[in-house]
Amino acid sequence: MGVVILLVMAAGVAAMLTRKLPTAFALVLLAVVIAFLSGAPLTGENSVLDTVLQEGAPALAATMVAIILGSWLGKLLDETGIAGTLVRKIVEFGGDRPTVVALGVLAVSALVGTVTGSAPAAMLAGIIGIPAMVAVGVPKVTAAGTVLMGIAVGVPFELPVWQFFSTALDLPVDTVRGFMVKLFPFALVAAVAYVVIENRRRGTEHAWSLRSVSARPAPRRERLGDAPWYALLAPVVPLVLALGLDVAIIPSMLAGVLYALVTTTRPGEMNKRLLRTLYGGFEVAAPPLALFVAIGILLAAVKLPGAVDALEPLMKAVSPQNPVLFVLVFTLLVPLCLYRGPLNVFGLGAGIAGVLIATGIYPAVAVLGMATSYNQVFGVADPTSTQTVWAAQYAGVGPQQVMVRTLPYVWLVALGGLCVTAAQYL
Amino acid sequence: MSRARTPVTDGLAATDDIGWAVRLLAATPTHEHRDPDLLRRWARAADAFGAALAPVECTARTVEREGGLELGLLARYTSRPPTVELFTDTLALAERVVDARGWRDWYPPGSVRAAALAHEAVHVHLHHGPAKAALKRALGHSALRLGRLRVPGHVAGAEEVAAHAYARTVCGLGRSPLLLTAALAAETGDTPPPARPARREN
Repeated sequence: MGVVILLVMAAGVAAMLTRKLPTAFALVLLAVVIAFLSGAPLTGENSVLDTVLQEGAPALAATMVAIILGSWLGKLLDETGIAGTLVRKIVEFGGDRPTVVALGVLAVSALVGTVTGSAPAAMLAGIIGIPAMVAVGVPKVTAAGTVLMGIAVGVPFELPVWQFFSTALDLPVDTVRGFMVKLFPFALVAAVAYVVIENRRRGTEHAWSLRSVSARPAPRRERLGDAPWYALLAPVVPLVLALGLDVAIIPSMLAGVLYALVTTTRPGEMNKRLLRTLYGGFEVAAPPLALFVAIGILLAAVKLPGAVDALEPLMKAVSPQNPVLFVLVFTLLVPLCLYRGPLNVFGLGAGIAGVLIATGIYPAVAVLGMATSYNQVFGVADPTSTQTVWAAQYAGVGPQQVMVRTLPYVWLVALGGLCVTAAQYL
Repeated sequence: MSRARTPVTDGLAATDDIGWAVRLLAATPTHEHRDPDLLRRWARAADAFGAALAPVECTARTVEREGGLELGLLARYTSRPPTVELFTDTLALAERVVDARGWRDWYPPGSVRAAALAHEAVHVHLHHGPAKAALKRALGHSALRLGRLRVPGHVAGAEEVAAHAYARTVCGLGRSPLLLTAALAAETGDTPPPARPARREN
């Protein structure tokens, strides 16, 4: 039966790869089929309806709340001009030197990446950051990759991601935080290396572009002006509270929302702005929320006793126990998290992680190390992930071009994360 | 700007060269919400800087190729290795647009190619020499003021305005190449990429 379940999973990956089914729908369908194949009854204990669908759907509720708060804060950073001001200041200070501007946009992207993820994060930093980099001579592929590498620097400190791995892998937040702190230096060094090396290799680029002026005058937009300097600290507030002062994730993020609000908004306008950005945040959060409902359902399915019994012998046979072999094998398997592949953590990879833990093949913290290492690759180089697609298209290049340029760097990040995992937890 | 005779003046030509420079700056990220008067002041300063530049030789290798219309480019300078690419299909379209709009007096035959080379030569010049700092001084923008301390700020897009002004001057064009760029943009229906993704999953 284990082989049949794996074949069903492969079919699910094929459906996602070919875009026959959106990832969230494919994961729910997979979960239901796996549950039936595992011999789960329709209702009652360890059943399809009560366990997989009813208990699975809200299993990642805490992550979903964190995602909503992150999106809310992201909307506030956008509407209050905080994100725009950060990028504008960087261009004004470092515009003579494209590498300096790119490093500045990298830093802003990292800050944004700690608050929110996916395409909204790329948009927050990239809407101004990408064309600003191109305007000072940074080549387009390098510019798109800079925003993505920057977001990946922030991901180890993205509080909703902590919450996701904590709930999905049933680990304390402290444990997740502890590993993320170790993963961060690899992400940082790779991102800085990317900016410096790629700018040096590719040099600057200036073009006489037909897009530089439009025959139609630009529409007049509301003049926001610069946000005050102390408001620019808003993205750091949740991080300081959660990382430095050990405050729980949701209150930390709420504090960030309030800080962004009170430093930029007149008291009379606060209610209106809070509500508007909260509702806007829901719109931004909708795609990841749908995905987290589906992942919760899939995790519930692969943890069913029947599924664990069926998959355990197969997974044990193919999972390396030797630390060196562990690093080697899982580093070579890195490309499987691209193109919505089976190791994509926000797809079937979550299910595989669940199986590895439920069957006791690896300790949960080792699976955390593996999953977060792959997440660093997926978040930057996957040509089907929305942030990569958005950043590439907005820069006017192909997502595959961005993948080719960034993959070597993020592959090394994954290698670093897997080395730490093997050295400490195997 | 001297003109032997006034060519056909349509809607685009009604906007003067500084007006086009203002539009270029306004469309450059980081300036979306700037005061139009400030943009006009910067446009004038950058235009004057470019027009006053001593002739510079283009030391970069020049290559000609097709594919400019697909990329939305007329010319491109890359510093590694120093190369100026001229997109022949866009240049050919530019010549046709000049004829169709009756702008031949402003842009004599072959002048668009010469302007493209001159434009990119300024980028080479600004990339390698001290002229970039001089442009910054000419613009007079401050990124930071602390008492008497003043940190000059970079104005994104000003280099582009200066390069077009230089090309207009050294090639003896009747109008800025920016006017022709706007006409080409209208001709090709080139629009910037959407800021928001059409389809999102995660």
